[in-house]
Amino acid sequence: MTTSQNENPNKTHNRGLTRPMQIKLAITLLVILLALIALIVTLGRIQNDYSDEYNQKILSQQRYDSREIPARRGDITDRNGSFLATSTKVYNLIIDPSQINSKQEDYLEPTIALLNEVFGFDISELRNLIIEKSDSAYIRYAKQMTFDQKTEFETKKDERNEEFKKNGDTRRIYGIWFEDSYQRYYPNESAASHVIGFTFEDGLEGSGGIEQYYNDELTGTNGREYGYLNEDSTLERVIKPAQDGNTIVSTIDINIQNIVEKYLKQFQKEMGSKTAACIIMNPKNGEILAMANSHPFNLNDPRDISDYYTQEELEGFSDSQMNDAWNSVWRNFCVTDTFEPGSTSKVFTVAAALEEGKINGNEYYECVGYKEVGGWTIKCNVHSGHGWLNVTESLMQSCNVAMMKIVESLGKEKFVKFIHLCGFGQKTGIDLPGEPDTSLFVRDASEMYLSDLATNSFGQNYNCTMVQMAAAYCSIINGGSYYEPHIVSQILNSQGSVVQNIEPKLVRQTVSQNTSEFIKNALYETVAEGTGKAAQIPGYRIGGKTGTAEKFPRDKVNYVVSFIGCAPADDPQVLCYVVVDEPNTDDQAHSSYASNIFRAIMQEVLPYMSIFREGSDSEYPAYEPVYFGTEPVTASQQETVTEEPAETETAASGEEENENSNTPEVETRKVYNTEEYVEHSSGTDDGEDDMLPGVPAGIEAETVPELGL
Amino acid sequence: MSKVKRKHYYDYGLLFTIIFLTIFGLVMIYSASSYTAQLQYGDPGYYMKRQGLFALIGFAAMIVISLIDYHKLLNFAIPAYIVSIALMIITMFAGREINGKRRWLGVGSLSFQPTEVVKIAIIVFMAVFIVNLGKKINTVKGFATVIILTLIPTALVANNNLSSGIIVFLIPAAMAFTVTEKKFIIAYIALFLMILMVMIFKRPAGLFLANSGILKPYQASRVLVWLEPEAHPLDGGYQVLQGLYAIGSGGFWGKGLGQSIQKLGFVPEAQNDMIFSIICEELGFVGALLVIVMFGFLIYRLFVLANSAPDKYGAFLCIGVMAHVAIQVILNIAVVSNVIPNTGVTLPFISYGGTSVVFLMCEMGLALSVSKKIYMDY
Repeated sequence: MTTSQNENPNKTHNRGLTRPMQIKLAITLLVILLALIALIVTLGRIQNDYSDEYNQKILSQQRYDSREIPARRGDITDRNGSFLATSTKVYNLIIDPSQINSKQEDYLEPTIALLNEVFGFDISELRNLIIEKSDSAYIRYAKQMTFDQKTEFETKKDERNEEFKKNGDTRRIYGIWFEDSYQRYYPNESAASHVIGFTFEDGLEGSGGIEQYYNDELTGTNGREYGYLNEDSTLERVIKPAQDGNTIVSTIDINIQNIVEKYLKQFQKEMGSKTAACIIMNPKNGEILAMANSHPFNLNDPRDISDYYTQEELEGFSDSQMNDAWNSVWRNFCVTDTFEPGSTSKVFTVAAALEEGKINGNEYYECVGYKEVGGWTIKCNVHSGHGWLNVTESLMQSCNVAMMKIVESLGKEKFVKFIHLCGFGQKTGIDLPGEPDTSLFVRDASEMYLSDLATNSFGQNYNCTMVQMAAAYCSIINGGSYYEPHIVSQILNSQGSVVQNIEPKLVRQTVSQNTSEFIKNALYETVAEGTGKAAQIPGYRIGGKTGTAEKFPRDKVNYVVSFIGCAPADDPQVLCYVVVDEPNTDDQAHSSYASNIFRAIMQEVLPYMSIFREGSDSEYPAYEPVYFGTEPVTASQQETVTEEPAETETAASGEEENENSNTPEVETRKVYNTEEYVEHSSGTDDGEDDMLPGVPAGIEAETVPELGL
Repeated sequence: MSKVKRKHYYDYGLLFTIIFLTIFGLVMIYSASSYTAQLQYGDPGYYMKRQGLFALIGFAAMIVISLIDYHKLLNFAIPAYIVSIALMIITMFAGREINGKRRWLGVGSLSFQPTEVVKIAIIVFMAVFIVNLGKKINTVKGFATVIILTLIPTALVANNNLSSGIIVFLIPAAMAFTVTEKKFIIAYIALFLMILMVMIFKRPAGLFLANSGILKPYQASRVLVWLEPEAHPLDGGYQVLQGLYAIGSGGFWGKGLGQSIQKLGFVPEAQNDMIFSIICEELGFVGALLVIVMFGFLIYRLFVLANSAPDKYGAFLCIGVMAHVAIQVILNIAVVSNVIPNTGVTLPFISYGGTSVVFLMCEMGLALSVSKKIYMDY
C-alpha cells in the first residue's frame, strides 16, 4: 500500500471529503458536542446540588486543621514528696482508614497482619472496621499502650517496609500512628484511697478525695496543634503547648497512713465492725496526717470491690445496686458519715461550763446512777452510780449524771452556742468532697427539751462527723485555736515551683488557755487512771477520752465506740481519733475496742514522729503485739462483764473503799473504772427505763414519744 | 493559472488552543500536585517541571512534524502499525510494572506507555487504509478487513488497559463511519443504542457485566464501584467519592486557584486522571465549562480541517485526531463525574503524563501539517 500522490487536485479520489462524508462527519461532531453538553449538565448538577453537602464532608475529613495535645494531670504527693498519684505517658493507637484505603491492595493486609502480630488484634475485626469507616481518618482503636509496645510496632513496621522496598514489593505498612496520652497511676494502690480519690474519663475528672476537690488544679489545659496552608500550599503548623496540671502536696504522711491502715485492717480481721476509722491530725495547725477507714479499695482498679462482696452478690446486683455498693465502698467515712459522738463530747460540756464561769473545776457532783430530767429517768453508764466525783473525775469516769448536772447549770442557750463555737452543726471546710450539711443535726436552743439538753451533754441526740470532732478537739487541747482541718499544704506547678502555699487557717478562738490546760490535765488523768487506761503507752504522757454512744433506735444493741487522744498530754503534737461503728461482737458497748486501736497506732506513730519516751527505751518493756479479738485486752479487771450487771459497775478491786468515801474531802487515791462500758439492764421490765429520751436531731421518728420539758 | 492569490494556510487557532491547554495544564498540575510533590520529593514543582519538559519535547516534535508534508509520513503507516503491535506484545512479557500494572516499556530511566504509540499508529494507518480501500469498504469483505485490523491492536491494548482499548477501537470506528454507507450504518446505530441503553439501565447492565466473568476482577469491581461508590470504598470507591466531593465542593465559582483541599492527599494522584475534579474544585463550574469549551473549540478546529483538507488522506488524519481527543476528553470527564466506571483515561494536554503529551503533540503536528496544505483564496 502506497500513498499515490497526485499533483492534480482535480482528480476525484484525491479531493477532500465528499458531501455524504461531510454530513456523516458533522453527525460525528454533533454526537461529540452533545456528549460534552451532557457532561456539562452533569457537572452543573453535582456542583449545584451537592455543593454544601460535599463541602461539609471535605471539612469533616480534615485531620490537619487541629489536633489536641493532652495535658498531663498533676501529681499528688504526700507531705514528704512521695507520690500518691502520678500520670504516666501512654499511647493511643490510631488507625487512619482513609490512608490505608488510598492504596488498599498494598496497605491493608500487611498493616493488619502486623497489628495482629504485635498486639494480637483480631484480623477480621480490623479489616471490617477499616472497610466500614473508610471515610474516617481517625479511629482510636486501642488505649494505654506502653512505650515499649509502641516502639516494638514502629521498629517492626520500619523493618518490614525496608524489606518490601528492597524486594521491589509495593506493599507497605501504612496508616497507623500513635497519639500521646496519660494514664493515672497510684503507686500505693489502696493506701489512703479515700483521701486521694481516683479519676475516670481518661484522667479528666476526679472522683472522691483530692482528685475531685482539686480537680481544676490537677487537670491543666490541653494544648492544640493547628495546621494551615500557606501560599505555597504547604502545611504550616502552629503548636500551642499543653499546660500540664499542678502538683498537689498533701499533708498526709504515707507512713503514718500505712500504720493506721495496718491496724484498722488487723482490727477488721480479728474482731471486725461495720466501719472502723481513724483520723490523725496535728492539733497545732489542723493538718491531717492520716485519714482512713476499714474499707480501702485499689485506686488503680476502683471498681473491684470483691474484698467486700462475694462473687455471687456482685453478679446478682442490678445496676443501681452495683452503684450503691461502689459508693458505699468509696465513701469517705471520716468526712461524710455522721454519728452520735457519745462521751468524747463530754469535754465540750465541761469546757463550756468553765468558759462561762458556771464551774471553776473544783465542784463535786454525786452520781446515784441516774438523774430525773423532764419526766425521764436518765441512767448513768454505771447503774449503781459513781458516787461523789469532782469535775476531772467525772470526765475520768465518764459520768453522765455529772454532765447532766453541769449542763443544767449552764443552760441550753450557752451550751448550744458553745457547741456551735466548736464547729458542730456546720461544715469544717476541709478540702475534701462530701462533707454533709450538719446544721439540722444540732438542735437549736429554742427547739430543745430539757431531756435533749441532758442527753446532749454526754454526746447523744446530736450527730457529728469525725472531722468535726477531731478539729474541735484540736482547738480545745491547743489552747483554744480552732484551725480549719485541711489535707493539702501546697500547690506546685509542673516545674515544681510553688503556686500557692495553703497556710493553716485560724478560724476562731474556742476556749481560754486555762480551760485548755484543765481539759488536757483531765484527759491525761482519764488515760492514766480512768476509763481510757487501755490507751496507755508506757513512757508517754497520753491524754484522751473514751466514747460509747448508743445508736438509734435505742435498743441497746448497736453502739459507736470511740477514743480520741493526744500525745504528749501537756503539749499535744499529734491527735488521733478512732471510731468503731458497730463492732462485730455481741456486746458492743466497750470503748476499749477503740482505745486498743489508738494504742496500737500511737505506739508506732509517736516514735516515727520523733516524739520519744521519757528516759531511755530500755526502761520500758517491749511493746506487746496487739490483739483485737473478742475479749478486750484490759478485760482482766472486769471478768464478769454482762452476766451480773449489779456487780459489773464496781468490778474493780477496792470498790468498796470508793463507794464508802463519798465525801469530797477524801484525798486517798481512788481507783476508777478503767473502761467506759454501758451496762445493760437485765430485767425485761425496766428496759423502758433504760431508754434514752428523745431522738437524734435531724431524724424524724414518730415512734419515739416526746416527753417532759 | 488563476488570478486569485494563493497562500499557504496554517491553523493558528488550533496552535494557540494547544498552547493554551498545555500551559493551563501545567498550571493545574502545579496546583494539584505541589502539596504531594513537596511531601514526596521535597520540590513542589516536581511534576510541573517534568511535564513542562515533556511538553517542550512534544511541542518541538509537533512543529517539526507540522513542517513535513504529511504524505511523506503516511509512507510509514504500515511499519508504524506493525511496530506498535510488536511493542504491545513486548510489553505484555517484558513491560515494567508500575503501580501493579504492566503498562510501561523502557530502557534505563527512559520509559513510556506503548498504548499511546498504538493510538497515533492506528490513526495514521487507518487513514491510509480506509482511503485506499475507497468504496470497497462498503463490501462485507472490506468492512470485515477494517474490523479485523482494528480488533488486533484493540485486543492487545484492552488486555493491558481496557480504556485505551476502547479508544483504540473507537478511533477507526469514527473514521470508518464517515465512509460507511447505509447497510453498515446499522452497526453504528446498534453500537450507539447499546451505549445509550447501558447508560439508561446502568444498574442491571453493570451488575450483569460484573457478574458475567468477562471482566477481570479489578474491572468488575470498578463497575460495582461506579454503581455504588459509597459501598465499595476499598475497591476505588474512595477515589471516586473524593473526586465527587472535590467537584461538588467547588460550587459555581470555585474556591479559587490553589485553594483545593482535596488535593492535599484526599484525591489520590490528583495531577493524573482526576485532575479535572481539582479544576472543578478550584475554578468551579465556570472553570470547568471554559475547559470543556476549549476542548470543544479544539475538536471543532479539527473538524474544520478535516472538511477543508485538500485530500482524503489529510481529512482522515484529522478525523482520527479529532476522534482521539474527543473520546479521551469525554471518557475522562465522564469518569470524574462518575457517569461511567473508572477507566483510567487521562485528560489530553492537562493530565500529568509524559508519553501522552508527547504523542498528542505529534498528532497535533499531523493536523497542522494537513492545515498547511490548505490553500486559501483571497
